[in-house]
Amino acid sequence: MNRPVRDHEILSAVFAKMDVPAMSVAAGALCALMLFLATAILLLQTVPEGYPVGPHLSTLAHYLPGYEVSWYGALIGMFYGFLIGAIGGFAIAVYWNLTHYVALGVMLISSAELAD
Amino acid sequence: MQATNHNVNGVNLKLLNAAIRFNALMLGFTAGTLAAVVIYSATQVSIAKWGDNSGNYLGLLAIFFPGYSVTSGGAWVGAFWAFIYAGTFSALSYRLYGRVLGTRIADILLSTVPTENPVLKPSVLRLHGISLGAAIGTMAALCLFFSTSWLVVRGTAHESIHAALFSNYLPGYSVSITGALLGAVEVFAVVFIACQLLASVYNKIVEMRHKKT
Repeated sequence: MNRPVRDHEILSAVFAKMDVPAMSVAAGALCALMLFLATAILLLQTVPEGYPVGPHLSTLAHYLPGYEVSWYGALIGMFYGFLIGAIGGFAIAVYWNLTHYVALGVMLISSAELAD
Repeated sequence: MQATNHNVNGVNLKLLNAAIRFNALMLGFTAGTLAAVVIYSATQVSIAKWGDNSGNYLGLLAIFFPGYSVTSGGAWVGAFWAFIYAGTFSALSYRLYGRVLGTRIADILLSTVPTENPVLKPSVLRLHGISLGAAIGTMAALCLFFSTSWLVVRGTAHESIHAALFSNYLPGYSVSITGALLGAVEVFAVVFIACQLLASVYNKIVEMRHKKT
């Protein structure tokens, strides 16, 4: 199981690029699930008659039109959660790859200057 | 050569530690910048949408972001603090991730077949769910504990009605030291499971997209 790890494998791990579509979908799926569960947990809690359910979570509707603390709203929230997560995952993956490329470029230029 | 590179079980530890430090720095910079953009944008949107009535919830950030306010100038202060917090959180998370992953780093590569040039022709990253969950879960638990403790220390625990809302999702959590400890354990478990899900879905999609390599 613990086989020797060669130097090029460590370098491969450092400069490995993040798969942008994969991270977008994975982050989107996770956020969709989180927002659905956040809504569902409040709906499943027993509250006194007439007591508002999720008055704070419902303020998300200011940013997510159509969202509400209900089962229907939970589905709407899933959609928005996926969208937000996907955008976030996309941004993280693209930015991760970009910073590595930039750092790599700086290292290559520096080593070229040192070689001269 | 092996002695100077501190090889243990065939792993060049000096190179491995340098690689982890490098990626921790990259992730810290990445996450910090993105968080700064999010907080700045959220503040400006809040001002644009609600004007003088803005800041009911966003203004609570001032408890943890000294100098922050829901104003144009405050947006820059918020961006600064978001960069610091998110950058530090992410960098420490990655350091912990690397430490937990340890010499199993080869497992995170897509293929065991070496690329011709790992620098100019990079492999595709995979995620190690357990290490990721342990690292981010630990950081999230520490964040919840210290942020709750800060509310207790500054004497506003009884007024922190918004923080108390966490008890809806973390049974037993309260704005107290004992509540913070219990909440930290629970948030570790939740984040651990979430990271496992994230890594599973990500790795599955990567395998589907790159199964020919």
